[in-house]
Amino acid sequence: MSEHTGAGAPYVCRYCRLNSDASGPACPNCGAPVAVREIRDDEGWVEQPPIRDMARILLGRSRCQITGSYVPVAEMNLAPGDEVFFSHHVLLWADPATQLAARSMAKGWDRRRAGMPLVMMQATGPGHIAFSDNDPGELIAVPLEAGQSIDVTENHFLVATAAVSYDWVNTVVWWGIGPKNQREFHYPRGRYADRFTAQQRGLLLLHARGNTFIRDLGDGERIFVVPRALVYKDRSVAMNIHMERPESPRAHWQIIPMIRLTGPGRVAIQSQYGFEPEAHWGWDLLGPDGSWRNWNPDPSRWRRGPKEREPLYP
Amino acid sequence: MEGIACSWCHYPNEPDRVSCGTCGAPLNVANAASESGWRAAPRLREMAEFRVGNITCQIAGQVVPAAEFTLAEGDVIFFEQHTLLWKERTVALTGKNLKAAGQRTIAGMPHAVIEARGPGRIAVTRDASGEVVVLPLHPEVETDVRGHAFLAASQNVGYSFVRIDKLASMLHGGPGMYLDRFVAGDTQGLLLLHGYGNVFQRRLGVGEKILVEPGGFLYKDAPVAINPVPVQAGAGFRHANWAELTGPGRVGIQSMYVHRHVS
Repeated sequence: MSEHTGAGAPYVCRYCRLNSDASGPACPNCGAPVAVREIRDDEGWVEQPPIRDMARILLGRSRCQITGSYVPVAEMNLAPGDEVFFSHHVLLWADPATQLAARSMAKGWDRRRAGMPLVMMQATGPGHIAFSDNDPGELIAVPLEAGQSIDVTENHFLVATAAVSYDWVNTVVWWGIGPKNQREFHYPRGRYADRFTAQQRGLLLLHARGNTFIRDLGDGERIFVVPRALVYKDRSVAMNIHMERPESPRAHWQIIPMIRLTGPGRVAIQSQYGFEPEAHWGWDLLGPDGSWRNWNPDPSRWRRGPKEREPLYP
Repeated sequence: MEGIACSWCHYPNEPDRVSCGTCGAPLNVANAASESGWRAAPRLREMAEFRVGNITCQIAGQVVPAAEFTLAEGDVIFFEQHTLLWKERTVALTGKNLKAAGQRTIAGMPHAVIEARGPGRIAVTRDASGEVVVLPLHPEVETDVRGHAFLAASQNVGYSFVRIDKLASMLHGGPGMYLDRFVAGDTQGLLLLHGYGNVFQRRLGVGEKILVEPGGFLYKDAPVAINPVPVQAGAGFRHANWAELTGPGRVGIQSMYVHRHVS
C-alpha cells in the first residue's frame, strides 16, 4: 500500500484505498487525515483515525462536512438533484428547502421478516441536511466503487448516496439448542446483515461506537471477533459461528460465541460493543461450517448438557 | 492595549488571557463554523477557570465533564439533586421547592432543586458523555432550555418554565410539555447546561427558519419561536413532528439526542 511520500507522488488513502489528492489536510473521498502516522498494533489492527472536525468529503457536485468529535454530525450540502437516503431516526436538522420524501425499498416481505425498515427517507437537493447517531463514537466514510459491496452489522448505517443500493444478507452466524421440534435459535450478530452495493461510485457513511480499527486479512487468514464488535467487512470475507469454551477448575464455563472471519478482505471493528455473555452451556446445532474450541482438557469436568461434538480444533 | 472580546459570550477580557474569564472559552482558537453556519460550542480546556461575581467555576474532564465551583462565603448556586458529584463539608445544602410543582411533576420535570451555599467547593455533572455549555446570562435576557439539560446556575438566575403551545408539540415534539426558562436579574448570571454529544449553536435572523429533530433541540433565546411541524415524507410513511424554529435569536442543538418520533 502506497503512502503519501511528498509533493507530486501518487497518493492512495490507506483507509479508503482510493487514489486521492494529498494536497489538502484530509482525503476528499473519505475524510481521513492525510498527514497522519499509521497506528498499527502487533496483531495488524490499524486504528482508523477519526475524521477531523470540519473535514470535507466530496460527493460529486455535493459536499459533506463532518463536525463534532464525541457524537459527530455529517452535514451535507446537496447540489440540485442530488439524493441521499437514510433512516428517519438519524436526521438531526434540515433546511426547509431540502425536499424530503419516502423511499420504498424492494423485497418488502423479506425486509419485514429481517426487521429492516420497509420505507426509508430520501433527501433531494438543493439544500442542507445533517445526520447524527445516538452514541459517542466515530463516523466512518466508506467510498464504494461501482460494483463494490460491503456487509455492515445492523444499526450502523447512517446515510448513503442514491447510487448505493441497500439490501440484506443472511449472516449464517447462529446456533440452535433444544430438541428438533422445539429448537431455539440464537443469532449473536443478528439474523441479517446490511449489504450495500454501489451501482456507480457512491459514498456510505456509518457510525461506530467508541474507536474503530480495521485490518486486512490475507487469503485464508482467520480472526475471531466478538459478534457485536464487528462493524463491517468486505463481501469477500467469509463469516461463520465459532464457540469458545474457557478452561475452568470447576464445572466448565459458559460458552462464548464468536464469529470466525476468513480472508481475503478488510474487516472493521469498534471498541464499544456491549458484551453480553450467552447463558448457555452448549448447543445442538451450529450454523454452516461452525467451529468450536474447548480449552478444558478434562472431559470429566465437562458439563453434559446438550449434544456436543468433537472439537474441530483439538 | 485593547482587550479581547470573547466570541462566545462577547464579554471583554484582558489581552494576556488565553481563555475567557466569564465563560472559559479559548480566546486563541479560531471559530469553527460549518458551511451551514453552525458553530461548535467552545471546547473548554481541561481545568479552564472562569468567574461570575465571586463564584469561580472550573471544568474538569473531557468525556463526561464535571463543573467544580468554588463558592465564597454566602455565594449560592442551585442544581438538580441527582447531578451532585461531590462537595466539601463546609458547603451547606438546602432543598428549594419550585413554583407550580404539580405541573412540573406531571411534566416529568424536577419540582425541587438543591441550593448550595458557600464557603467551600462543590461539583456537579450529568452521567452522560457530552459537553458543558457555559451561558453567561446578560441581565433580563431569557433563555429557554429543554428539560433535563440544566446543570447549575447562580442564585441571581430566575428559574421558571414555559408551556409549549399546541398539543402536538406537547405529545410528540420531543422537548416535552414544558421548557425551562432562565433569566438573569439585575446582574450578570451564570447558567451551565449539559449537551449530550457535541453542541452547536447558530444565530437565526428575523424570520429565518430551521427544522430540527426535536430530540436534538437544546436551548434557544426566548424570542425564537418553536412550533411542531408534521413532516409527511410520503404515502404509507409515519409522519414525524419536527421542531420548526423561527428567528431572531440563538439556537443550540446537541448531536446525541433523545429520539421521540411518534405518529
